[in-house]
Amino acid sequence: MFNYAFDWGVITTGKYAEWLLEGIKVTIQLSLVSIVLAFLLGLLVAVMRMSTVKPVRWFAHAYLEFFRNTPLLVQIFFWYFGSYQVLPRAVNDWLTGMNFEFAAAVISLTIYTSAFIAEDIRSGVRSIPKEQMEAARSSGFSYIGSMRHIILPQAVRITIPPLISQFLNLVKNSSLAMTIGVAELTYQARQVESYTFKGFEAFTAATLVYLVMSVAITGLVTLYSMKVLNPIRTH
Amino acid sequence: MKRSVVIVVLLLLCPMVAYPAPADTLADAKKKGVLVAGVKDSTPGFGFIDEKTREIVGYDVDFCKAIAKKLGVKLELKPVTSASRMPQLVAGNIDMIAATMTKTPERAQQIDFSYTYFFTGQKFLVKKGTVKRLAELDGKRIGTAKGSTSEQNAKKALPKATILSFDDYPQAFLALQQGKAFAMTTDESILAAIMGKAPDKAKYEIPDIRISDEPYGIGMRKGEKDFVDFVNKTLLEMEKSGEAKQIFEKWFGPKSDIPLQRTFVIKSD
Repeated sequence: MFNYAFDWGVITTGKYAEWLLEGIKVTIQLSLVSIVLAFLLGLLVAVMRMSTVKPVRWFAHAYLEFFRNTPLLVQIFFWYFGSYQVLPRAVNDWLTGMNFEFAAAVISLTIYTSAFIAEDIRSGVRSIPKEQMEAARSSGFSYIGSMRHIILPQAVRITIPPLISQFLNLVKNSSLAMTIGVAELTYQARQVESYTFKGFEAFTAATLVYLVMSVAITGLVTLYSMKVLNPIRTH
Repeated sequence: MKRSVVIVVLLLLCPMVAYPAPADTLADAKKKGVLVAGVKDSTPGFGFIDEKTREIVGYDVDFCKAIAKKLGVKLELKPVTSASRMPQLVAGNIDMIAATMTKTPERAQQIDFSYTYFFTGQKFLVKKGTVKRLAELDGKRIGTAKGSTSEQNAKKALPKATILSFDDYPQAFLALQQGKAFAMTTDESILAAIMGKAPDKAKYEIPDIRISDEPYGIGMRKGEKDFVDFVNKTLLEMEKSGEAKQIFEKWFGPKSDIPLQRTFVIKSD
């Protein structure tokens, strides 16, 4: 049926295996750093979006619409190549010396994903009856305090399932970083392909690694929400 | 879980099973009346989009046109990148590759090549006055394109350098312009073409540092002797009639944007 000679040895031993491992490492770093930052930034934007101060709310709204509605690839090019036009020369040179490719990828992934996370958290917050906010405020909590201690802890629990989706999207989206030369997993798989022409093996390996990472993230976040957050039972 | 993995793998295999590449390109192209060629669409001089006609033109394209004309069929052009061209050919999406492709022994194990129809060497494009010797490039950040021989040669010649591989050459040049790469490396012909197109070309130069020979060949699926013979015969005839030289002069002659010396003739290997 198949006239293709599989050769798994190419990608399980020697330097090509090292390349793939190196790629896995970069993908994990890129994903984890971006997930943490995107969550924090998303939380902040969600709170701003629901603020009672109009300019803050408008700013958050503009931020959301802008970054949700432009392609991630364009944003990656924007931060990597576009920053040159905006930033002073000295800052650019300093950034270039600091593995700017990785940083630009983290910035793009963080900002892009934070916009989606913010919207998910906002819907979580909206599902908490507004009487709780009123009760918190009349018990002497400030607006930030009510959010921090009463509303968000509940909202985040409800938001866990959509959040997992956003995290998984982020992991997969991290493969776009290869377009600016970040040597993550897809980049390395393609590298192995162009050296050995064993693209099928390399990409099968990459597919499995993404699958394992995604399943692991889903498992960890679910476990965390079950054990640590001890959530309201929703099902 | 295990079952879903099996399903995923089977789905991946589908394209390979459902559309076997034609075993006889020559007969197939004649029957369909179309020859599909993979060419670059952003490499000035070889395959790029003409600003006026919005069509892909260049040295590679003219050779494809000549081959299709000789065969008496229509030519269809498909844009490819350095990384995508071989998989596209093997999968049967294109019938031949004329995309600044260097003939290497590794590639020759996977596909067949025609006689050399263009000859160049790999050099570096740098900001004027920054580099005189190869050693000055080691340890620096060097931009190039993914899946190209340039990438592999650069790694060999400059083991301590950081090689930044972009999707295609224009991005590598942008990185050089912005100081994100210290140099960019690929075949001299491509470098000269990119420099010729740059609005600030006076700021750059190509120092005389050559790290490899790059003979370009037209790529065809393995084991199609008739097609390879046909293409080779056409190339030799084009050389004899002066058409090959004319095409060179058209894109790389003294009056062109990319003046180069024709240091080769097309001959049997």
